[in-house]
Amino acid sequence: MHMSNRSKWFGFIFVVPFLISFLVFWLTPLLYGVWISLHDFRLSVGNNGFIGLKNYVDILTPDTLYYNTFVNALKNTLMFIVLSVPPLVLISLALALLIEHLPKKLKTFFRTVFFLSYSISVTAVSAIYLWLFGANGGFINNLLLKAKMIEAPINWTGDQPYAWLVIVIATVWWTIGFNMLLFVNALDEVDGALYEAADLDGASAWHKFRFITLPEIRNISIFVMITTVIASFNLYGQSLLITRGGPAQSTTSLIMGINTTVFGNNQLGVGSAMALLMGIIMMVITGVQYFASYRSEKEEAPRPLEEKKRFKRAINLGPTNVNQQPAATTDKKEREL
Amino acid sequence: MNIKKLGVVASTGLLVFSLAACGGADSSSDNGKTQIKFINGFTGGDGAYMTKIVKGFNESQDKYEVVQSQEKDHYTKYKSGNYDLVVIHETNLKTYSKDQLIQDAGPFMKKAGLNKEDFSEAGIQSGSVEDQMYGVPLDIHPLTMFYNKELTKEAPKDYAELKKLGETLQAKDSNLYAFGLPSTGLTTFYFTAAAAQNGINLEKDGYLDFTQEAYADALMQYHDMIFKDNASPDKLGLDGEFQAFMKSADEGAKQAAVTMTGPWYYQAVKEKYGDNLGIGAMPTLFKTAATTGNAHTISVAAAVKDDKVKDGISEFLKYLYTPENLANWAESGQAPSHLATIDLISKDAKKYELAAKNQEQLKSYVAAPRVYQFDEQLRYMNEVVFTKLTNEPNLTKEALMSELEKATKAAKQIAGTQ
Repeated sequence: MHMSNRSKWFGFIFVVPFLISFLVFWLTPLLYGVWISLHDFRLSVGNNGFIGLKNYVDILTPDTLYYNTFVNALKNTLMFIVLSVPPLVLISLALALLIEHLPKKLKTFFRTVFFLSYSISVTAVSAIYLWLFGANGGFINNLLLKAKMIEAPINWTGDQPYAWLVIVIATVWWTIGFNMLLFVNALDEVDGALYEAADLDGASAWHKFRFITLPEIRNISIFVMITTVIASFNLYGQSLLITRGGPAQSTTSLIMGINTTVFGNNQLGVGSAMALLMGIIMMVITGVQYFASYRSEKEEAPRPLEEKKRFKRAINLGPTNVNQQPAATTDKKEREL
Repeated sequence: MNIKKLGVVASTGLLVFSLAACGGADSSSDNGKTQIKFINGFTGGDGAYMTKIVKGFNESQDKYEVVQSQEKDHYTKYKSGNYDLVVIHETNLKTYSKDQLIQDAGPFMKKAGLNKEDFSEAGIQSGSVEDQMYGVPLDIHPLTMFYNKELTKEAPKDYAELKKLGETLQAKDSNLYAFGLPSTGLTTFYFTAAAAQNGINLEKDGYLDFTQEAYADALMQYHDMIFKDNASPDKLGLDGEFQAFMKSADEGAKQAAVTMTGPWYYQAVKEKYGDNLGIGAMPTLFKTAATTGNAHTISVAAAVKDDKVKDGISEFLKYLYTPENLANWAESGQAPSHLATIDLISKDAKKYELAAKNQEQLKSYVAAPRVYQFDEQLRYMNEVVFTKLTNEPNLTKEALMSELEKATKAAKQIAGTQ
């Protein structure tokens, strides 16, 4: 009994650092942020009194200053998510697959090379891309002009859709290493025996990827997808330094909008309300992603035998036939099997 | 019971930790000197000259030490940090005094032996808010003209001369232009120039009213300078006026013979052009001659209460506003507002070339309107309207008016937040 109390005591001590960190760095700021958002709180003079949900109402009332700031920035941020998440996930997966197929000696080298850009600061990355994509005498424009691929210089950072293109390219180059590393680790965990068995069955590279690799790295793929969406929501440095939110505020992100509201307009209360709304939107999107993934996993999980059968059938039919199989026929075949 | 006790211990620890974090910063350094935390945004070529002044003060002192921070976004750092002394633009002085972020600089000036009469008229205006000195005038930095003597021997004095220069250069090389209009960046100076040189007052009941026919006409002239007269290239982007001046047409880039930019680029242009660099006054782009720009002032944080720090600030001001010391600032290209320093500069105009030239054109200086949150009221103009003027060849006056209405509406709402 005495030992049991002691171990409980020790257990609690081990949890205390987490609890303190959780309280100090997460719960307290969150609750403080909620409290500030319910007050007329100015960055300079502090609290001017409780105003209830007025800050939220102001943000959600069309044709007002804060509504325009928030909605425009939200639209831009969602646009960035749509444009950046697919390449950030797919290219990192492609790089991981390439590394996986390299000789062992080269693996570490290229893993480091591709991860290296992740360690560079956003200021340096932005400076590089500003130099590359400068409208007047930039490297890319000079290259394209000399190759006679364009007749006039492209205003990469001052016209759309080029401005988004530059931001997405810079983001992919800068952050791809992190996702790639997660995929490399996930690929390392895939049981080699599965590939050996597939080889014996005469599976093609595509079939091995589709029916072994993808299902085996499914969990990490969902994790990468969710964290990439969250990271893209936090777009700030690239659009601030490369395009300054332009042209015509079309790349002004949510964080930039909140920053302007707090530090430019002096409205800490409104800025906190914006940040909380942003958090809620992020949670909803993450929740939908998680729920969708969990649901499809649930639907697929109890049918390992069917998956096996589909795999065998796919190997026999080839990729074209698999894609052309009408759903009803497939179901029928499955039932027959 | 144990858990309860532990909870009390943890809560107490947390409280102590929080209180410790909330404690104010000590103004004394390890060497026993009273520290004055000074923040400014001098991250360009002028930064080294202010550092030289601060260094000189620290070496001359055994009681005080100025700890300087030079930050690109120094206003954000100032608002969220703990500083005693800050450099504030004249356009922000009203906002910072209204928001109680700075205090009356009068007592500090008095202790440093400085009076209003020690400064130029434009300088006094730059540091005053409703007749009270909230900032000690440091300099006025007008829109400064640099020109390439290889492309034009004389500085163009008005738009007609600029247009003519553009035509001559275009005949030589289609990549050569008279000057460059930026899409974003220093556009505030161009907006205020269009108002000042057309005699337009943008201020109305505390907000900036851009929806004026005459102002729309003036702005359309910028559009015509690009798309009708071909005097400037289009779509130059951020800081395009400076970038185009630094480019070379031989390398396929669009090059401008003249730039109207900030004096903080002086070191960069001097390094590139050397003896071929010419310095001129702001040309008359519109109806009447008027110089626009902004001014730096030095303000004391509202939070400064410690007498030792207050004395240290006065001591630093006394050192700074000694002509021999402030001349360092003039050497960077900035035009000081301190009369005794102005005298010193005029006696050695060759050494303080840019400061002396800019000093001359300050006779026609027109300060920007004093409204609450000036920069924020201009945000839509800077980020959207000027981009449209310089990027959209088919922009009509009607479309511009519609944008000016949006900008005015935003400015009015911002003015209403005070």
